[in-house]
Amino acid sequence: MSAATSILSNTPVFGKMFQVDTKNGLEDINAWPALIIMTSFIWLAIAALLGLGMPIIQYFGLNVFLFNYYTSLTLHGAAMTFPFAFSLMVGVSIHRAGGCMGKKGNSIFVRLYFIFMNLGGLLFTLSVLSGFQISYTVMYPLPVVGAQMGVWPMWSVVLGFTGIALILISMIVLYPIAILRIIFFDKKYEELELSPRTLQDPGMLGMLMAVLILIITGLPLLTVATAVLLYLYGILPMAWITWAAEPVVFQFVFYIFAHNLMESMAIMIVSAVYGTLPLYLADGTRKLYSDKLANAALWILLITSVTSFFHHFYTMFPALPSTFSYHGNVMSWGTGLGGAFTIFTILATIWKHGIRPEPGVMMILGGFIIYCLDGVTAMVVANVALSYHLHGTMWVGGHAMTVLLSMSMMWMGVLYHHYPVITNRNPDGDSCRRSYRFYFIGGVGLMYSFMAGGASGMPRRIADWVQSGFMTIGFSILIFGIILTLGFVFFLSNLSKSSEIKV
Amino acid sequence: MKDFLYTDGWGAFTVMLFFHIPFLIIFFRVVYKKAFVNTGPSETDPQKYPKIEAIWIAIAVVLFISVNIMSVVYMPPVSTANMTTNSSDFQEVEFTAKSWYYDISNREYEAGRPVRFSGKSSDTVHGFAVYHPDGRILFTMMLMPGVETPTTLVHTFDEPGTYKVRCLEYCGIVHHAMQDVLVVR
Repeated sequence: MSAATSILSNTPVFGKMFQVDTKNGLEDINAWPALIIMTSFIWLAIAALLGLGMPIIQYFGLNVFLFNYYTSLTLHGAAMTFPFAFSLMVGVSIHRAGGCMGKKGNSIFVRLYFIFMNLGGLLFTLSVLSGFQISYTVMYPLPVVGAQMGVWPMWSVVLGFTGIALILISMIVLYPIAILRIIFFDKKYEELELSPRTLQDPGMLGMLMAVLILIITGLPLLTVATAVLLYLYGILPMAWITWAAEPVVFQFVFYIFAHNLMESMAIMIVSAVYGTLPLYLADGTRKLYSDKLANAALWILLITSVTSFFHHFYTMFPALPSTFSYHGNVMSWGTGLGGAFTIFTILATIWKHGIRPEPGVMMILGGFIIYCLDGVTAMVVANVALSYHLHGTMWVGGHAMTVLLSMSMMWMGVLYHHYPVITNRNPDGDSCRRSYRFYFIGGVGLMYSFMAGGASGMPRRIADWVQSGFMTIGFSILIFGIILTLGFVFFLSNLSKSSEIKV
Repeated sequence: MKDFLYTDGWGAFTVMLFFHIPFLIIFFRVVYKKAFVNTGPSETDPQKYPKIEAIWIAIAVVLFISVNIMSVVYMPPVSTANMTTNSSDFQEVEFTAKSWYYDISNREYEAGRPVRFSGKSSDTVHGFAVYHPDGRILFTMMLMPGVETPTTLVHTFDEPGTYKVRCLEYCGIVHHAMQDVLVVR
């Protein structure tokens, strides 16, 4: 029994949902992914409670320990983005890659990913609880400025940056290497090859693109963050790291990565949808409408997304020359063209072959709808003219939240598809249907609530919703947040009640 | 109508719905029909798919280009460049943002005469968003410390009134209170 299987067996409540089948000979592609997925849902539970707490904190004006808006905001954003959404993707994608290539999913890089991501998350949580309220986007140089002003202690900055560094290493180095090893290097085992695929297949091509984006756009941030961290540890003098400590340097490398992190996650999930959808076609053809069109969509997404990050800086004109703004505008809408190709591929596939409305695939399609709706909100705010009316409002926060929710919903659908192979148990279809209906209504309602907030000028990340007259939006966020949380609860309770498959 | 679409948050909301509504109608119709009404393979002539594909992509391209071309005159970098080139009669305003207040050289302006805002930040990243008295955002500016070129924008206030300023970039635990007021006479 592997260490991962052992941890799963000994974890109360969540462990039962993801206990792997040790008799089917697939433990090597199931155990570590299952452990990563289980842990991601534990982080989700924390993040969801914090998210629900934020409108309540605002309404009652609470300001004690965890019941502080900026503490909740920072922890909710960080937990939702990294140890939940990203780790859910990592767990499912490593299982997928292993099963498609016939390779083990338990390399040292997978194990280190699990340790670095969760340890990093814990250290960051501790620093936030000690007062390090910087939001999940860091807002550099706020961490240092806050310490200089005495708002939080310097040791919490060191602790927080250590956590961030571990998380970055897990995302930029460990996970991509784990996937690249599976695709190109590791030994192949016939008995692990569940659904053979090649790199010509859109489902695998997207996976390769996504991890390359992570490495290429992440390394500059990792370099800068390492320099800052070595200074904070007292190993390097400030004179050696001034190039990295410049706010404009840190902000640019941060957004080059942060923006492309979302794009790579999007490419990864679109490729997973391309891989899963054909398995549910009514006529049993198991083929997309066109692999070429699907691959073209991935290439367009890849090429246009890399330099569209300039839209984070339009409102800095002329420090950001307008030519970069126009370029960012064109490229951001170019990603929409990739989206249009993807939508057509999926609709044409369904129209041509029909579809079996089974819970997993319906969950994937529900997530895909939210993903497309969110894509439009991103394009709108990426228009230079409109950005000057929306940047920094709830519109932007809503976009970041919705893209994560939509991708997570699609991954949950893909997980539903793989779940019987991982655990030798069948989830209950009716519970899953209830889950995706609640999730869909909650997710769409939340998105429109945030967009309405942005349209009416509601700033994101402010702790005075009541005083500024935005509590109506706050109540809407709370109501749809509860509905969304019920969607998560039904999904997890469904897994805990799943029944063993009898041969 | 164009003014509303490109100078108001709710205009942006309308642009968003312009894409959302047709997408939702088409997507739900296709999925509902092929998942619940007639799940069998479609009888559509296979030769029609490439034609529909071309039309779909063409519509997307035309719409995307149109929405952006129409927005060009509303882009503050464009209007600022035009006004800077064609006029010298500005009301100059310099300001510095600091946690958690603004140091503004002049808070009172004449209606109808262009105001050139030039701002910097002296500690962390801040925003400078000016709200119309009716609550909509007229424009927002991002101020990053260490950047030598000040963030600059020219705006002409058409109506007298009291305009609120807010920071829209999270800057710490008193971020929500980083506000100021401008008066247009």
